[in-house]
Amino acid sequence: MSTSEANATPREYPWRMPANWWTRSRHYFWYIVREFTAVPLALWLLWLLVEIKRAGDGPARYSPHGSAPFVIFSVVVLLFSLYHSFTFLSLAGSILHFKLLDRPVSASVIVMSQFAAWAVASGVIGFFLVWLGR
Amino acid sequence: MPEKRISIHATRYDPEHDKEPRLQTYDIPFSDESMVVLDALNYIKSHVDGSLSYRWSCRMGICGSCGMMVNGTPKLTCSAFLRDYWPRAVVVQPLNNFPLIRDLVIDMDDFMHKLKSIKPWIIRKQEIPLGAGEHRQTSDQIDEFRQFSECINCMLCYAACPVYGLNNEFLGPAATALARRYNLDSRDEGLKQRLPVLAESEGVWECSFVGECSVVCPKGVDPAKAIQQTKLDTTMRFVLPYGNRE
Repeated sequence: MSTSEANATPREYPWRMPANWWTRSRHYFWYIVREFTAVPLALWLLWLLVEIKRAGDGPARYSPHGSAPFVIFSVVVLLFSLYHSFTFLSLAGSILHFKLLDRPVSASVIVMSQFAAWAVASGVIGFFLVWLGR
Repeated sequence: MPEKRISIHATRYDPEHDKEPRLQTYDIPFSDESMVVLDALNYIKSHVDGSLSYRWSCRMGICGSCGMMVNGTPKLTCSAFLRDYWPRAVVVQPLNNFPLIRDLVIDMDDFMHKLKSIKPWIIRKQEIPLGAGEHRQTSDQIDEFRQFSECINCMLCYAACPVYGLNNEFLGPAATALARRYNLDSRDEGLKQRLPVLAESEGVWECSFVGECSVVCPKGVDPAKAIQQTKLDTTMRFVLPYGNRE
């Protein structure tokens, strides 16, 4: 018995959430997509751990997994992670709340600064990966 | 010229006779472009079927009594114009996520308990005597909480929140927004009394930021923002060494 059923008096009709609630609104649908983008991302990161362990065996015995299905999966995961990052950073203006020079910083400035920090961090990490891989 | 008419499909549920809610159709005159859904319900109640039950009071978007699902969206029926739906039919249902008492009347006890739990009033450690004059605030201090004070407890945000629909132990949007309204008020000293309710797992942490609560709010309140900022505040109080000081 759900909580709402338990709370309802016998003469009340209890609320039951339909299983397809997330298909009833575009907003709900994209919320579920946003949440589920984390699942393939987590799977890919688990695979990355396996790859790192394999790399520990030394360059002679290591060959990166590069099959077509894996490359396609990686591209899909990249798109998912970009979408997840975009939605997350777009919401930063609602989450962060602080003042600068005794004035509240606007949500749009916070969001833009988050995207700027994201771009800089991606550039720095990309540079080091290329530099270390040479 | 034939009279303009509109179909209203309204939920009917008589707990003594019905096993489950059903829709009943009323075909009524749509004579005035300024008619709202609440006017249609009042017409039905006055001229067609006096047994139809629903809540309403002010008819001007202030009391928050007439919230219902209009074509699947939580709305104040006093500000949902029929002209925005005509010639399509209008489906009027009770607010989602609440037990149904009768027809369009929901049981709001759960929300009232939650509202009371966050103590939505100014709490002082020591009251300032009336003779000491007003407790003045600057414009900036008022701006800190003003938008959250616009909440009229209409519960549209609860009807829009799938998290509350799946788990009604969740404190929910309006209660959190009102807690934040008082926590941000420079006159208030009740943060520590509200934190145990806000910071528990069924408090702000149950929210996964769907954001629909802020979309449907008829008063422009942003409960999703209140919840996320409260999450951040409770985290900072936990993490920072000086976080727990008043």
